[in-house]
Amino acid sequence: MFLKEKNVRIKISFIIVIVLIMAIIIRVFYIQIFKYDELNELAEGLWSRNLPITADRGLITDRNGQVLATNITTTSLVLIPNQIQDKEQVAKDLAEILGTTYDAMYKHVNKKTSIERVHPEGRQLSYEVAERIDNLNYDGVYLLRESKRYYPYDNLLAHTLGYVGIDNQGLSGIELAYDKYLTGKDGAIKYFSDGKGHRLELSEVYEAPTPGVDVALTIDLDIQLAVERELDNVMSKYNPEQALILVMDPNNGEVLAMSSRPNFNPNYYQQSTTEIINRNLPIWMTYEPGSTFKIITLASSIEEQTVNIFKDTFHDSGSIAVDGARIKCWKSGGHGSQTILEVVQNSCNPGFVMLGQKLGKEKLFKYINDFGFGKKTGIDLNGEGSGILFSLDNVGPVELATTAFGQGISVTPIQQVTAVSAAINGGKLYQPMIVKRLLEPETKTVIEEKSSTLVRQVISEETSSLVRYALETVVNSGTGKNAYIENYRVGGKTGTAQKVQDGHYLVGNYIVSFMGFMPADKPDYVVYVAIDNPKGITQYGGTVSAPIAKNVFNSIISIKNLPPASEVTPREYTWLDKKYYQLPNVYGMSKKEASAAIKQFKVEFSGVGDTVIYQTPAANIYVEEGSTIKLLLSN
Amino acid sequence: MKQKHFDIILLLSVIALAVFGLIMIYSSSYIWAEYKFNDPYKFVKAQLIFFLISLFIMCILSKIDYHLYQNKANLILFGCFLLLVLVLIPGIGKIRNGSRSWFGIGSLGIQPSEFAKIGLIIFVSKYLSSNDKSIKSIVKGIFPILLIIGVFFLLIMLEPDFGTAMVIVLTLVSIIFISGVKLSFFLKIGLVGLVGIVILIALAPYRLERIMSFLNPWTDPLGSGFQIIQSLYAIGPGGLLGQGFLNSRQKHFYLPEPQTDFIFSIISEEFGFLGVLIVTSLLLIIFYRSLKVSLSCEDTFAKYLSFGLSFGLIVQSLLNLMVVIGLIPVTGVTLPFLSYGGSSLLVSMASIGIILNISKNH
Repeated sequence: MFLKEKNVRIKISFIIVIVLIMAIIIRVFYIQIFKYDELNELAEGLWSRNLPITADRGLITDRNGQVLATNITTTSLVLIPNQIQDKEQVAKDLAEILGTTYDAMYKHVNKKTSIERVHPEGRQLSYEVAERIDNLNYDGVYLLRESKRYYPYDNLLAHTLGYVGIDNQGLSGIELAYDKYLTGKDGAIKYFSDGKGHRLELSEVYEAPTPGVDVALTIDLDIQLAVERELDNVMSKYNPEQALILVMDPNNGEVLAMSSRPNFNPNYYQQSTTEIINRNLPIWMTYEPGSTFKIITLASSIEEQTVNIFKDTFHDSGSIAVDGARIKCWKSGGHGSQTILEVVQNSCNPGFVMLGQKLGKEKLFKYINDFGFGKKTGIDLNGEGSGILFSLDNVGPVELATTAFGQGISVTPIQQVTAVSAAINGGKLYQPMIVKRLLEPETKTVIEEKSSTLVRQVISEETSSLVRYALETVVNSGTGKNAYIENYRVGGKTGTAQKVQDGHYLVGNYIVSFMGFMPADKPDYVVYVAIDNPKGITQYGGTVSAPIAKNVFNSIISIKNLPPASEVTPREYTWLDKKYYQLPNVYGMSKKEASAAIKQFKVEFSGVGDTVIYQTPAANIYVEEGSTIKLLLSN
Repeated sequence: MKQKHFDIILLLSVIALAVFGLIMIYSSSYIWAEYKFNDPYKFVKAQLIFFLISLFIMCILSKIDYHLYQNKANLILFGCFLLLVLVLIPGIGKIRNGSRSWFGIGSLGIQPSEFAKIGLIIFVSKYLSSNDKSIKSIVKGIFPILLIIGVFFLLIMLEPDFGTAMVIVLTLVSIIFISGVKLSFFLKIGLVGLVGIVILIALAPYRLERIMSFLNPWTDPLGSGFQIIQSLYAIGPGGLLGQGFLNSRQKHFYLPEPQTDFIFSIISEEFGFLGVLIVTSLLLIIFYRSLKVSLSCEDTFAKYLSFGLSFGLIVQSLLNLMVVIGLIPVTGVTLPFLSYGGSSLLVSMASIGIILNISKNH
């Protein structure tokens, strides 16, 4: 009986033990099966050491995929102090190869860290240096692939592209604004190490780096190259303080080219001052626009129907009195009696004062705001200026008068180009764009296509077409004559703005500019040129900037292979100018008849026969007097 | 009394476990052994010697009639008492891992608390079997034995060796339990134990740290939670089938002294859940076979003795496993037959030797 009770208790104790063992087994099962992933990952983090491999940054290309920023592969020195055996010897050899002091290198070699980068001496090593280090064959001394940013066109588009720091981080321009996309995910060589940091003979894992996303800009490389070339010429010809050119597609706000001087080489950005690097003049610079701003006053007046540009007239005596102050015209003695269209062609200041007065300050400033002045345009770049406008309460008669012809306010080039684009494209104000699309780096498939943003309809299509017409006459017969291109239709407006320093206008120191567009009847290109204080030339926008804009237009014509316009308004000629004549159609004429019909030109015949079967250039084209016309003859 | 062969399953299980222990001691210790002593076989060689000695002693003990211990129980206990006192004297006892619990003999060490475990089991078994009638009375029957247990517990806690003290107390209480003492007594003793643990924690706050670190080892991953985290980092990645023999990563200087208390972690890491099942099954078989011996005894001394010895082994195993998998705070007990340690293996094998002798006689 008594023994039986003892045996029962023994069996109870056995059951308790069984329960506990089951609990242990369940717990182990839980740890090894359910917590496996979590613990394995934590433990991997403990065991594994990563030797980082930098990822390529995404490419920056122009709108056609031409590469503007790419990557080159360099090598970097990485030390794993725990694996280095003869620290003194390694420090000595590395110091010698890299040209550092022994003490500095000894510190690197003995650093209490799992992975030590020798910064900056050991970064982005040349092939020769890397080879010498590699030949040492030391344990714990690694050479890792490192990707380095490279700008194949050096200074081209430098401000807009920006530059990257030693760790491939974007520091300005697109590199900064799109850093999140351009930055890739670094890869690693993973190896396993013991608790003391030594490398274990276990398999390594290679994690490939993922390159960043490609960014395609709205920039057209060919136009950009032409713009850069023009700016280089301007710099050597006039030695101005600053110069800039901006080219935009007015129909969607896409920036096709932009550049400024002084500029820098992003491959060697350290050689330039931060002032030069950070000032992307087309978006940063603010100044009095001068006469190019009259486009805005003109457009507003036409839209509000305060004037009829063909019928209304204005007499310019050389100055106009406003609230006791005298505002002079740029031409001493004045332009006399003119239609409003002629006021525009002559860029007559008193005439625009009158336009401003007729509009009144509320309406003029409403349009100025509607055209986007006084605030940032919102282009995808850092460092944009917003300009300064009078606040409406502070606008008296004098402020209204000066604003009407572009003085006393401060604007950025991008604001002007955007506003003028709206004035001539049918009245639509677009937000300027610099990034066209984002692409997957391997397959180049489009991840995101940026679409243009319509901000608002500022003026009507009819008003816009009148503005285009008026501005085309400026180039055909007014101050913009130097931008006239035979057989093509160009519109535009010159500008000569005085610079303000310490509250005074500087004498003989102007920002001369030209705002042009082409084709004048249906513009696809708006070109803005501004040059700050050109030397050795009369400082007028018409004399300095208009010819440069013309060169840019000519480049665009040949790059885009633009056909001549079907009908053009001939330009008004002075006795200084070479004459252009419209070429008649001589097809089917005899040799004699043809020669008579084009007697202003030299004629070169080819072929055998007496009937003209082909002529070049084609009929109706304007050709300079005395040029050679080729005719092909046949029977 | 008819002559029987001893329990062959029990014997084979023990030998299998001990041999597996030798293999795992090699696998888990060679990194540390090479680093510290320039000899990867340092620990496994020492353990092999102990294994052979233990095997020899087990055979001897299986031939010695267990009645001898009944007669010499008082003497054995006195010997153990002397050793426990001696080990506390600086110069005689050696300190290892913060406890003065060792007699050093050359590079080998002897832990008197391990031997006291057997001595106390023998003594308590004898006491209870010869006072079978009086144990109905708690005051007369049980208090004297509790007093003796208390003295030994105190001595071991002076080293201090909390783990071994716990194993001894739990084992002895379980013998009292099967002797037929009223269940209400165990409720009271449980209460006393709880109060005792609180006092012990109050005396040495590091024990509280251990408990806290058990509750959430990640609060202090480099301090009190370190061992348990390192242990989980070994067990977790082991998965179903393990990393394979010799492929443990945690033994590479992450888990400290992986061949002793945390050898089960390395087994889990290298052989996965399957290895865990095999080890726990073998432990359970040994316990089950031993209990069968105990159940078959009509001699109460033999019943108590064989139960106490087998329960001592399984309690120590459970404590070790629960620590290693984070079910209870770190107490510092070895895993019988598997962990590195001469005294532990010797005493475990000796226990089996005695059980084998009892099995032969019943």
